[in-house]
Amino acid sequence: MALGMALVWGVLNIVNLAHGALIMLGGYVVYYIFVDTGFDPFAALPIAMMAMFAFGYLLQRYLLNLIVRSALLNTLLITFGLDVVITYLAQLLFSADFRTINPGYAGANFGLFGLTVPSVRLAAFVVAIGLAGALWLLLNRLPLGRAIRATSQNLVAARLYGVDPRGLYAITFGIGAALAGAAGGLYGMIANLTPYIGASLTAKSFVIAIIGGLANPFNVILGGIVVGIAESLAALYIGATYSDVISFGLLVLVLVVRPARMVRAA
Amino acid sequence: MKYAGAALAAAAILAVSGAPVRAEDVITLGASVQLTGSSANIGRYYRDAYNLTLDKINAAGGIKIGGKSYRLALKLLDNQSDVNLSIRQYVQLISSDKVNFLLGPFASNFALSDSSVAEKYQIPMVQGGGASTQIYSRHYRYIFGTLPSADDYYASTVDMFGKLDPKPRTVALVAADDSFDVSVANGTRKLLQAAGMKIAVDETYREGSSDFSSTLAQIKAANVDAILWSGHETEALNFIRQMKSLNANPKDYYGFTVGVPTEDFRKALGKDADYAFGMTSWLPSESLKDRWFGDAAAFAAAYRAKYGYDPDYHAASGAADVETFAIALEKAGALDPKRVRDAIAGISFDSLYAHIKYGENGQIVLPQIVIQIQNGKLVPIYTDKFINKPQYPIPAWDKRG
Repeated sequence: MALGMALVWGVLNIVNLAHGALIMLGGYVVYYIFVDTGFDPFAALPIAMMAMFAFGYLLQRYLLNLIVRSALLNTLLITFGLDVVITYLAQLLFSADFRTINPGYAGANFGLFGLTVPSVRLAAFVVAIGLAGALWLLLNRLPLGRAIRATSQNLVAARLYGVDPRGLYAITFGIGAALAGAAGGLYGMIANLTPYIGASLTAKSFVIAIIGGLANPFNVILGGIVVGIAESLAALYIGATYSDVISFGLLVLVLVVRPARMVRAA
Repeated sequence: MKYAGAALAAAAILAVSGAPVRAEDVITLGASVQLTGSSANIGRYYRDAYNLTLDKINAAGGIKIGGKSYRLALKLLDNQSDVNLSIRQYVQLISSDKVNFLLGPFASNFALSDSSVAEKYQIPMVQGGGASTQIYSRHYRYIFGTLPSADDYYASTVDMFGKLDPKPRTVALVAADDSFDVSVANGTRKLLQAAGMKIAVDETYREGSSDFSSTLAQIKAANVDAILWSGHETEALNFIRQMKSLNANPKDYYGFTVGVPTEDFRKALGKDADYAFGMTSWLPSESLKDRWFGDAAAFAAAYRAKYGYDPDYHAASGAADVETFAIALEKAGALDPKRVRDAIAGISFDSLYAHIKYGENGQIVLPQIVIQIQNGKLVPIYTDKFINKPQYPIPAWDKRG
């Protein structure tokens, strides 16, 4: 969920406040594929990712490229505006009804050493690890990934080597949107979809992206696990009301203890 | 350019002079409702019920006060599910839109704040969206409500527990931390203590939360007989889905304050909605006679025909609010807010929703009907006696077909 956000943030220096809205859109894509065609939602994930990639690509190419590398406030404003527009368009298109992606096995589980493991959550975790692995491969082993990293490190030098930054930014944002799409599909299988789930997901992605750091996809996953465990423990021992306090408290703690991570310029 | 300016000015004059002519014979009700935002799903019940009832009353000749006929009109604003905005909008409705009377928003936390505006300006507000006792415990005189007290939501359920076999003895109480659900939890705690039952798990979760895994782990560990749950529709949905995926089963019973009566909820969950107990203050029965609609069943049919989905108690409660004003205005024989307020306080009439009569604090007294989803259908189970046979105890998730 936070992978796409960390990528866009790290490379484009855009704190994408519309990230949650993209997750929501991805969820609806998977929902409609599943309901209208009976396609398995996990099989529908790649389709949703491709659709979201196209959407993200166009968004960056024709809108966000106008503001890339401008002041942080501008990018915050425009992505916030996008978030509002996407959310309300979604209500017009999909109505405010809540939906769930509910295949026959959504509630399946199995016992392991006396614990009950929900299958779909485990599968979602595996998919997330897989996506992080793919992203890592892309960034570290493929020419495209090298170009993305190069551009984020030194724009001028990358240009000298023949990188077209605008196309590259669009591709990067597209990948971020695709990851959001996958996250949306998985989220819809576990929880529920409404046009309004975006805001809280953006906040959570933000926390996880910072705790995990923007550099390495696996760290983001690790950040997600840390936040998840901290919240669950807090819910168990302090009370479920405080789980948000804990995750944002953790954020503050990380910022205080490891400020070096945040200094990493995009 | 010149002509365009002149035309604009003419249009403006027309618009201005057009309004007062009609203003004499129109009574405007103002409301701010969640049409967008996270509560839009329920907010639409109020928008649609207000409009439907208004149209029906107008079609029947409107309201007669002192031999003169008035038409009802509605000024509806969208509060975007934002409490602070809704307060500003109610102030706007009163001070700049000059509406005559106020209808309520959805949800207790909204009604709690918005009723203070009504009280300050001394304009009567009849609201059908907030059940928390906090709204009525401040000795306000201008707020009336058609939802029964949140404290007693589980009264009929706990009463029914005494007549079930096997009798549930240990309970897990799970509630959100907003005004309505805190009220429910406080009231339910007292009810359970009075019934001699043990609260083995008592959890409050943050409103809007979507993850119940640690609460469910506690419930599993405590091995309770029953779960009583209070919160919002989407959270109830997530709770049920996670119960299933974690195979968390109370021995006998789980019940919800909201969600179960709404069509959307059953659609989203499909078969997983089966067996869930819930409650409603209203069912579309023909025995509820109404002056304008005939009866509650006819109201439900008209509502479905016009808006394409079934009304639930939110809609019926909203319709009763509009009817309250219609009856009170005729009784008061004047538009003066103070006299209308007194008329509402003394009102007593049968409506499609219930027999409407407000208590000393402004809140209606109504029993909750315990309901259960059986094979995808909503079945009324219990009020003070059994209406239909419950499917009880609820089978464990891994033992269902």
